[in-house]
Amino acid sequence: MDRPALSGRPFNAHFTDVAAAAGLKAPVIYGGVDAKKYILESTGCGCAFLDYDNDGWMDMFILSGTRLSGDPPEATNRFYKNNRDGTFTDVTEKAGLKAVGWASGVCIGDYNNDGFEDIFCTYFGQNRLYRNNGDGTFTDVTKTAGLLNEQPRWGAGCTFLDYNRDGHLDLFVSNYIRFSFEHAPVPGENINCNWKGIPVECGPRGLPTGRHSLYRNNGDGTFTEVSQTAGITGSTESYGMTVVAADFDEDGWPDIYVACDSTPSLLFINNHDGTFREEAVVRGVALSDDGAEQAGMGLGVGDYDLDGHLDLFKTHFADDSNGLYRNDGKGNFDDVTRASRLGVETRYICWGAGVVDLDNDGYPDLFMVTGNVYPEVERKLPQYANKTPRAVFRNLGNRTFEELGAEAGPGVAEAHCSRGCAFGDFDNDGDVDILVVNLNEAPSLLRNDMKVKQNWIKIKLEGVKSNRSAIGARVLVRYGTKIQAQAVLSQSSFYSCNDPRLHFGLGAVSTVEIQVFWPNGLREQFKSVPANQLVTFREGVGIVTSKGWAKT
Amino acid sequence: MRRTAKDYQLRRVCVILTLALVLPWSRAQSADQVASISSALHERDFAKALELLRAALNNSPDNPQLWIMQGFAHLGKGEKKEAQTSFEHALKLSPDNVQALQGKAQIEFDAGSTAAIPLLQRLLRLQPNDPTSHGMLAVLEYRRGNCPVATVHFEKAGALFDSQIEALHAYATCLVRRRKFEKATAVFQRALALNPDDQRERQLLASILLMAQKPQDALATLQPLLQGDTPDVQTLELASTAYEDIHDTERAVSRLRQAILLDPQKVNLYLDFANISSVHQSFQVGINVVNDGIGLLPKAAPLYFARGVLYVQLAEYEKAQADFERAYDLDPSQSLTAAAQGMAAVQANDPDRALQTVQAKLTRKPNDPILLYLQADVISQKGADPGTPDFQLAMRSAKKVVLLQPTLGAARGVLAKLYLQAGQNKEAAAESRKALASDPKDQAALYHLIQALRKTGGKEEIPELLKRLAALRQEATKEERERYRYRLVEGDAQANPPTAQ
Repeated sequence: MDRPALSGRPFNAHFTDVAAAAGLKAPVIYGGVDAKKYILESTGCGCAFLDYDNDGWMDMFILSGTRLSGDPPEATNRFYKNNRDGTFTDVTEKAGLKAVGWASGVCIGDYNNDGFEDIFCTYFGQNRLYRNNGDGTFTDVTKTAGLLNEQPRWGAGCTFLDYNRDGHLDLFVSNYIRFSFEHAPVPGENINCNWKGIPVECGPRGLPTGRHSLYRNNGDGTFTEVSQTAGITGSTESYGMTVVAADFDEDGWPDIYVACDSTPSLLFINNHDGTFREEAVVRGVALSDDGAEQAGMGLGVGDYDLDGHLDLFKTHFADDSNGLYRNDGKGNFDDVTRASRLGVETRYICWGAGVVDLDNDGYPDLFMVTGNVYPEVERKLPQYANKTPRAVFRNLGNRTFEELGAEAGPGVAEAHCSRGCAFGDFDNDGDVDILVVNLNEAPSLLRNDMKVKQNWIKIKLEGVKSNRSAIGARVLVRYGTKIQAQAVLSQSSFYSCNDPRLHFGLGAVSTVEIQVFWPNGLREQFKSVPANQLVTFREGVGIVTSKGWAKT
Repeated sequence: MRRTAKDYQLRRVCVILTLALVLPWSRAQSADQVASISSALHERDFAKALELLRAALNNSPDNPQLWIMQGFAHLGKGEKKEAQTSFEHALKLSPDNVQALQGKAQIEFDAGSTAAIPLLQRLLRLQPNDPTSHGMLAVLEYRRGNCPVATVHFEKAGALFDSQIEALHAYATCLVRRRKFEKATAVFQRALALNPDDQRERQLLASILLMAQKPQDALATLQPLLQGDTPDVQTLELASTAYEDIHDTERAVSRLRQAILLDPQKVNLYLDFANISSVHQSFQVGINVVNDGIGLLPKAAPLYFARGVLYVQLAEYEKAQADFERAYDLDPSQSLTAAAQGMAAVQANDPDRALQTVQAKLTRKPNDPILLYLQADVISQKGADPGTPDFQLAMRSAKKVVLLQPTLGAARGVLAKLYLQAGQNKEAAAESRKALASDPKDQAALYHLIQALRKTGGKEEIPELLKRLAALRQEATKEERERYRYRLVEGDAQANPPTAQ
């Protein structure tokens, strides 16, 4: 297919994969390499940027699967400590995070408000909650927290959120499929196990859907499942994947959006009384613009059109376009996929994604990673390769995008079979870098080297009455004539978690006005904040000293 | 319909003759004269009646009844023109005279003229329950394609048609056109009851039962034909469809194979096989069977089209394009092949090529509804902005399609989507409602309607529509599950036993 002609405008971001040099050499084991027998092997997993030791430098957590034939020695989640020099050290064992199994998603949040970020991972089998001990180690507290399943489940997306605004982070977990090796069909066994006439792993169609769960934080380190009473259980049957929680209707209470595979996606609107109502169809984010189900995988949240409202970007399967949904500020969305020129790309199966300003020009761009789920297909149909390139859709500033490949650097053009990705500034140089999970390969770490310096600002929030991580906070930044909204999220992209420091590119603007909508309802405004710095706000206090920032 | 027309004529003449005998005579008329005319008419001695009438009319030229009798006497002699003149004269004297209206209407009806329609309508104003007038109107309206009106008159004609198979067919055809399959079934059952041994009648009823989604009843209807030693191809084809509809794919395939062996030159059988293969995602099996057909019928454009569609499913787009091209070369009048080329290009993620293909064909067939629909759809997919020339072209194309082919629901879907993009939400809602009127299961139309209502503030209707959409989705999922229970196995084209989900 001929791509539309590019605008010719220079793109300042340039991505290079520096994973090997940074010390990320261990592969992410996930199912068969050349063929997959079960869908469990193909959906893959996510990764996270988090600052576990509060040194102001982003560390990394990368999930892993295993193999049907048995656990290879490399099959474990991996935790990498940032050495603050562009390299990382694998501290998985030391941190107590070695774990083998079929991991899916990760979400980060300080669930016990002790000032250290904790980790929750979803799995096929049993999810895990790791409490950060504040000394460089974590403890698996799943059982004591009351999060053990009675039966094995396939946990998928997850997010911490404070749905009842009591200052304690609650937990939402989407479940993908009710899967068991005993009952799962195998490639070619029935119609749902064929793609383009080729026998492949089966599902999700034809397999029973998962059931999503909401757990209320009791404030004492334990959780209680409230899915039934909160109105989560009664929602449409769905194959849930990535979850985001943010205040989409701007009423001060967090809502929950679940990207769903082959079923309508779900938008749970917060009723302010501990319950939710599911309204994705009527609000325009459940189905395609023709009312069809799509294969919702990953989610980006951001303000692509700079109107101060949080829009949604959702990735889909090959032969379908990804979806961009414009928020009117009341939680009603318009599908603007075609109008924004995103419909031109339908070649790849897309996963992790973000609405992020990659080139600091003040306009949030779109980035996504891709990769096939049927490695065996490319042998017969070369156009459906297993490893495919990443894609950048550069925001042209007029509510449309143009697709860039190699123009954004070799790290974008290289082909991998990727799943989750996380956005963050691992080298603290004032731009957005990207960590990418590649199945059965080492991860990619795409370092962003800006060709031309543009201004930026990063915002870190510390809750006091609100949850310490400030998850659910919405921030409006005004720069020049523009206004941009962002939210502090616990999960987005695909099963992944981004750098909690919100990054705003500013173009040539040198001071900004910042408005913070804290999760507990407090609104604060800060004027004339200079650009090119990390600013840390403590709820009700104002600007406090930032940690660990290396001034450039 | 000729036999039916004659039946009406005979019926009408008999009625009129009977009426003529009891006509209220003018006091000026001598009783002897009247008795003689009546007697001549009764004895069908129309020449004598005319002779007597000439004398009577000389005495009483303003007596409409005499003119009517003269009309029927001419009619009896086959002198339609003269009869018509007599009835017209009677109507001038007595405009609402039922007998004169009936006589003139009969002549117009026999001539197949729509001029009978206003006469019959006048008659029905005078005699609203007259089954004969309803019957004649029904037939005339049917002939001019006005099924909604024809159906009403067929219903009011009551048992008038019970012995007239062609009228029953006309009535049932109208009911089918109006998608009233239940009623059509009942009418075809009446037709079959007239000729229970007529194979064609039985097949017609089975076809309608399939349309009415009663495949079991269709099979029961076909059973006497299937039990014979050599069921014919049409019966086998219908049985195959019925078996497929009840998810007995094994028998469906078996009957179809039997039909192909019986008449390997019949293109439709290969198309049916391709369709079953496609539904069960057994694309290669379908291609193999269509290949056999192409071997025997190398000039059959539909076979290349069907194979092209199967290649698209296998993502073999180049082969698909070659087949569509060949189908188009063989039969350029088929816009569907050109459309398929466009759709294959869309499937291959190449909307530019799709648009080029469609627009090239449109230059030759600018009013082809399918090509116009595709043009609108592809432009819409490419993301033209409201107000741009491309968007306007898409909008014009979609509007034109719904005028040219109002039943093409997909075109209404594109038009509704374009209206939504342009912020014309009321128009989007109206278009979606029209699409739903022709296909209540159109999920896209329902979704567009919900979005349009949300934006126009018509929210009170939305909860019910959401329930309806959820129910449709559930139903579609169930149907898909049923459909996917079977897969055809490559090589022998036999169906596999059901596989566990």
